[in-house]
Amino acid sequence: MNDNPVILAFCCHYCAYAAADLAGSMRLQYPANVRVLKLPCTGKVEVNYILAAFERGADGVFIAGCLEGGCHYLEGNLRARRRVERAKKILQEIGLEPERLEMYNLSSAEGPRFAQIATEMTERIAALPPSPLRPDRATVEKNVQEMAAAAQAAVAGDNR
Amino acid sequence: MEATSADHVAVTVDGRTSQVRAGTTILDAARQMGIAIPTLCHYRGLNPYGACRVCVVEVETPRGPRQVASCSYPLDAPTVVHTDTDAVRQSRQTVLELLLAQAPDSTELQTLAAEMGVKATAFEKAPKGKCVLCGLCVRVCNELMGRGAINMFGRGAPRKVQTAFGEPSDQCQACGACAVVCPTGAIDLAAITARHIQPHITRYDQYLTARPSIDMAHPQAAPRVPSIDRENCLHFRTGECGLCKEVCQAGAIDYDQQETTRDLTVGAVVLTPGFEAFDATRRGEFGYGFARNVVTNVQFERLLSASGPTAGHVQRPSDGKAPRKLAFIQCVGSRDTGCDNEYCSSVCCMAATKEAIQAKEHEPDLDVTIFFLDLRAFGKDFDRYCERAKNQLGVRYVRSFISRTYEMPETKNLALTYLDANMKRTTEEFDMVVLSLGLEPSATLQQQAERLKVALNRWGFAQTTELDPLTTSRPGVFVGGTFQEPKDIPETVMQATAAAAKAMTLLARSRGSAVKVKKYPLERDVTDEPARIGVFICHCGSNIASVVDVAAVVKAASALPNVVLAEHNTYTCADDTQDRLKDKIDEYRLNRVVIASCTPRTHEPIFRDTLRDAGLNQYLVEMANIRDQCSWVHSGDPVKATAKAIDRVRMSVGRAARLVPLAEETIPVKNSALVIGGGVAGMTAALALADQGFPVELVEKSDVLGGTARQIHTTLDGADVQAYLARAIERVGKHPRIKLHLNSHVAKVEGGIGDFTSHLVTGEQTAEITHGVAVLATGALEAKPTTYGYGQSPSVLTQVELSERLAAGTLDIPAGATIAMIQCVEQRTAERPYCSRVCCTQAVKNALELRRKYPQARVVVLYRDMRTYGFREAAYRQAREAGVLFVRYEADAPPQVALNGQSIRVSITEPALGRAMDLQVDLLALAAPMVPRADRKELSDLLRVPLNADGFFLEAHVKLRPVDFASEGLFLAGTVHAPKFLTETISQANAVAARAAAILSRKRMPVSGQIAWVDPEKCISCMTCVHVCPYGAPKVGTDNKAEVQSAVCMGCGNCTAECPAKALSLRHCIDVQVLGAIGGLLTPDAAARGFEPVYPEQVGVARPKWHAAPAPETQHER
Amino acid sequence: MIVADRKSISEIRDMIKGHDRVLLVGCGTCVTVCLAGGEREVGILGSAVRMSLKLIGRGHVVVDECVIERQCEDAFIDALAIRGVEYDAICSLGCGAGVQALAERFPDKAVYPGLNTQFIGILENQGVWAEKCAACGACRLGEFAAVCPITRCAKRLFNGPCGGSRQGKCEITADRDCAWQLIYDRAKALGILDKFEAVAGLQDWSTSTDGGPRKVVREDQCIASLE
Repeated sequence: MNDNPVILAFCCHYCAYAAADLAGSMRLQYPANVRVLKLPCTGKVEVNYILAAFERGADGVFIAGCLEGGCHYLEGNLRARRRVERAKKILQEIGLEPERLEMYNLSSAEGPRFAQIATEMTERIAALPPSPLRPDRATVEKNVQEMAAAAQAAVAGDNR
Repeated sequence: MEATSADHVAVTVDGRTSQVRAGTTILDAARQMGIAIPTLCHYRGLNPYGACRVCVVEVETPRGPRQVASCSYPLDAPTVVHTDTDAVRQSRQTVLELLLAQAPDSTELQTLAAEMGVKATAFEKAPKGKCVLCGLCVRVCNELMGRGAINMFGRGAPRKVQTAFGEPSDQCQACGACAVVCPTGAIDLAAITARHIQPHITRYDQYLTARPSIDMAHPQAAPRVPSIDRENCLHFRTGECGLCKEVCQAGAIDYDQQETTRDLTVGAVVLTPGFEAFDATRRGEFGYGFARNVVTNVQFERLLSASGPTAGHVQRPSDGKAPRKLAFIQCVGSRDTGCDNEYCSSVCCMAATKEAIQAKEHEPDLDVTIFFLDLRAFGKDFDRYCERAKNQLGVRYVRSFISRTYEMPETKNLALTYLDANMKRTTEEFDMVVLSLGLEPSATLQQQAERLKVALNRWGFAQTTELDPLTTSRPGVFVGGTFQEPKDIPETVMQATAAAAKAMTLLARSRGSAVKVKKYPLERDVTDEPARIGVFICHCGSNIASVVDVAAVVKAASALPNVVLAEHNTYTCADDTQDRLKDKIDEYRLNRVVIASCTPRTHEPIFRDTLRDAGLNQYLVEMANIRDQCSWVHSGDPVKATAKAIDRVRMSVGRAARLVPLAEETIPVKNSALVIGGGVAGMTAALALADQGFPVELVEKSDVLGGTARQIHTTLDGADVQAYLARAIERVGKHPRIKLHLNSHVAKVEGGIGDFTSHLVTGEQTAEITHGVAVLATGALEAKPTTYGYGQSPSVLTQVELSERLAAGTLDIPAGATIAMIQCVEQRTAERPYCSRVCCTQAVKNALELRRKYPQARVVVLYRDMRTYGFREAAYRQAREAGVLFVRYEADAPPQVALNGQSIRVSITEPALGRAMDLQVDLLALAAPMVPRADRKELSDLLRVPLNADGFFLEAHVKLRPVDFASEGLFLAGTVHAPKFLTETISQANAVAARAAAILSRKRMPVSGQIAWVDPEKCISCMTCVHVCPYGAPKVGTDNKAEVQSAVCMGCGNCTAECPAKALSLRHCIDVQVLGAIGGLLTPDAAARGFEPVYPEQVGVARPKWHAAPAPETQHER
Repeated sequence: MIVADRKSISEIRDMIKGHDRVLLVGCGTCVTVCLAGGEREVGILGSAVRMSLKLIGRGHVVVDECVIERQCEDAFIDALAIRGVEYDAICSLGCGAGVQALAERFPDKAVYPGLNTQFIGILENQGVWAEKCAACGACRLGEFAAVCPITRCAKRLFNGPCGGSRQGKCEITADRDCAWQLIYDRAKALGILDKFEAVAGLQDWSTSTDGGPRKVVREDQCIASLE
């Protein structure tokens, strides 16, 4: 069980991201675990990006694009689906649950669907243990603070 | 820090100091600073009351800390305030415990208490109650509404809110303001008012749900600005209330806005008032208006909408249950002489099919029946769509007209009586009935038409002719869309675009004369500077700040690497903040900016412009969406929302640090057009472009212009097509800007939008031409049938041949002869599953002509569905009145034709009669299909544009971009796109001219900065990108390396995600930027250490390409 | 072009399991073109192997990635040498030749293959490669209308067709074109069908791998041997 998973969502500009905005306009409530990264098209989602997210400790990743047949860039979402299938196989092979990764399709008018996807994915990931690859959050925060202090000291004289 | 002035005082809240106007309360001051203080009894716009004491804070005084109610404590001297000390928290908890005891039934209160750590109360609870006596309801009723319908009665424990004498109040206007402001859900409006409580069921959502008096027109409204429904707004009705003005911190509410009348001097007018749905109550027999489960198709569309009143769930209005049996009744207010709507509305058959499919997709067990007269699926791929509905999804189509609905008193079901497939009278009950309403012309324009001096036809639509469907009776006034004739989206888009072309022809000389060019300062070169990021967190009034702890986000942002400034602002997009942003960019020498606010989809252009104004490249701004995708959707969980907002900012900072300035290239535009095909489509497009001032190269394969239209003699409205053609050919020949190439074809097309180079082959000669756009208009032709004895008897003709013979007068029809027409010949079959659209009307036209010329002859039309859509329906009716016999046959029992010397015998089974009939026929006309031309494959390869399964060319978007190809700069018009009438071809060709002119009228064309780019050093010429790109943007360049044609690239990044050598990258979305965002989220510490690759230097050989982003863990160890 | 595909991640992980610092080396020529060993694939493998090691408790293993122009050329491998000393094992995403070239250049390091080298072939459709040449050392494409019966006929018939093909497809693998149908079609188009009336001669397999390790020598290039 994972009570506060970190889920990264690659959303295409024209459909999924717009649907996420619409969910906001409609004030639909869904779990706050999804972090959206906007790309022009899900066809820009590289297998490398998906793996990079897992390697850096994402508990779950989903890719949300236009409806099949409705891709703004014609077939980007179909390519994305294939890449997600490939990345799932790789996850399976290395012993990470492939269900941590999913591909969804929705139109820009489907705000409720976005909320539903976010809820569904959060529930799914919450039922799994935290990613074994996840770095310790506290250590990360501490490192950030330290580096910020160092960086600020370095640029202090340079500020104005 | 702002200068202190006399009327300002300094206030320090939780360690942060700010200047506020003297007299501001602590609560308001804290809110301005983005610090939230909980409260129950405070409401913006009402005077402070200090009743609930939840907003208690600690103020430092010389005599030590003192607790005060922040909502009613005005600041008139420098003050230090603490909102979050242990003592304050404890006080608030005690207050909440007391309130919980007073109002044990309020779930709202319990939620608020739980958020503040109070789960139960230690005090003795009242037996029941929800009211905490905060007085908001009483104050709003008195102060704002001026009513005083309720008041506080009694003292001490029995004190309560009630009306005079506890009786329902006549004073109450049932406005509901008390219920809105009540923080604990204690108000029961029905117990207060003597009036009937009526929600505002308005036209929005088609009278299905109530809506506030101030709202967006619809969720995707453009502009996204709410407006006040003046008819229902209390302020406009009574002058009271005004709550919205008080609440809106942006001060955007302006009650004094007036309708203004302005005079414009224009060179052309385009009328696009659209249509109105038929008023279903005019056909009362269907029960609309009193049978609750009878809805219109427009209402049903709202019910299906994910953003509609039922969030996309199909529900019966009577009980909210999901229907199990649903019926559509077609032609309500169309094809109906009874209400003067003789015409067909053209769109309803497909709209009903679409709604049926969507309903089935929502509820797979739903049983859907469509009652129709003729299934008019005449558009491109429409028949396929209906077949899918029928065969794959089980939608039932019943050809029977329903005369009325009977509502069952108990169940509120509707009983419909119809003739079933065996012609038996059947009565069936349905849970819900949808009426497919006809399209009527805009009512507002009916009165104005006379003033506009525009003639209307007998149904109130704009009067046009088939050969000029765009021009009204008044020169210079054009028409687009359903005001001309009921039509579907693609035809509407085509016609409206075409009307623009017509207008632009008149305006050609003044093109561009009203354009104002904005001046920007020179762009600062930031390439060698390390990233210096400014982070601006927007409150969006209280939209963000009321949920997200903006101060915490600022704090987290300032700790991030490369961030030199982080601050929060009430409205980052407001003019004064924009100016502040520019100042900060200067002051801190910022070279990257992160805005954490609303969605980049609406606001990125604004901030890009701000950066340009500040002398920075516009690609150096990055937005974090913490409103639409955070505060609005997590309003119940401020802690997690804040954590999410911090994460989003980290992602944006991670990405922003690696943003690079991008130049927006412009490419020169060749201002000429290549038009392939010299038929009506090609000539119309060529003339429309040439009339707008652009040179045109018109290429025709044969030795003569005119194409298929040479075989058409009259239109349905009786215009002489050959005369029209002759005029067009003459104009083309004489036009100084049209260069005609007969007996020619195009052999090679290279380049992209704005800059094509093509080879034109005429006989032995090949010429190279350059052009900015290309138009494909090579048409289609009538196929020669192979069935029904065609070619075996001189008396078997196609419809086109029949019309030619009629025009030439070479028909020999004896008196008393029988002429039969067979429709849908070799089309709408498994092999050729589409409808040719024109044949039904052609048959009607020829039949009428035959009846006129040979009144003694009998004409019989054998059909499957008469698809005389739009005003063609009137001709169909006229034909029936003229005595033409229309006999239907089923697809699985087509007519049989037997030839015996001169005589032709046609046998047919009429479904209504249920038996075979034999006709002895003297002349047989076949509705042969319209088929694509043989050279389609070569043209498809030549232009690299796709064909559909039937061999017609595939447009960029079937509904919204019907004249464009997906590849920019390429267009299509006429029957090469799909079967269509001459009038529709003329519209589409004009539309092409408008779309093309939008490109050709530019000297240079900007190319987005966000396009793919090939690193020639890394490219290994594997061709993967060439295979992947659907637009043909990458090509192999002169050095055998791939290069991306920047004008053709759409910026989707598909190629860059496949390139095996990672030689391709999508600008503004390069690996380090994406990984920077991911790292910013998950490992901001590692991301901070930089992604700079380490290259060992070697002279003379290619260096190894070390990967840019090693794992975070390995980075820690180094 | 040499066509290869990647070994399974678990196989690669198990090969390198005993090492603490591993370098994945891609190759920028054939295997990049066939989407097996270019920069993208090295990156994907790198991520996957690092995660995989971490999941079996060997997260401390350093796995780095790089790609060189061509693994079958010492000059390019030399560029690796500077960084190469940091690693105790190398996993090559090159063809078999690349793996061995790296092994020869780094005698003190373990070198493992990350790919299975498949055949010499070409792209048929995006993502599909087909074998076209067996490198038999005695090319007879001229006799067979430029369609190789060794690689493209399931039965390697020099005197085909076998009689089992249907509608131009092979009876062994129905989604493959019958090589002899192709030979016939081309020959017919070229008007050289009569060439096929004579029986094709035997193949000299001594020049193929059956004849032992092969070498190609261009004497005019070998001035060293003059000394």
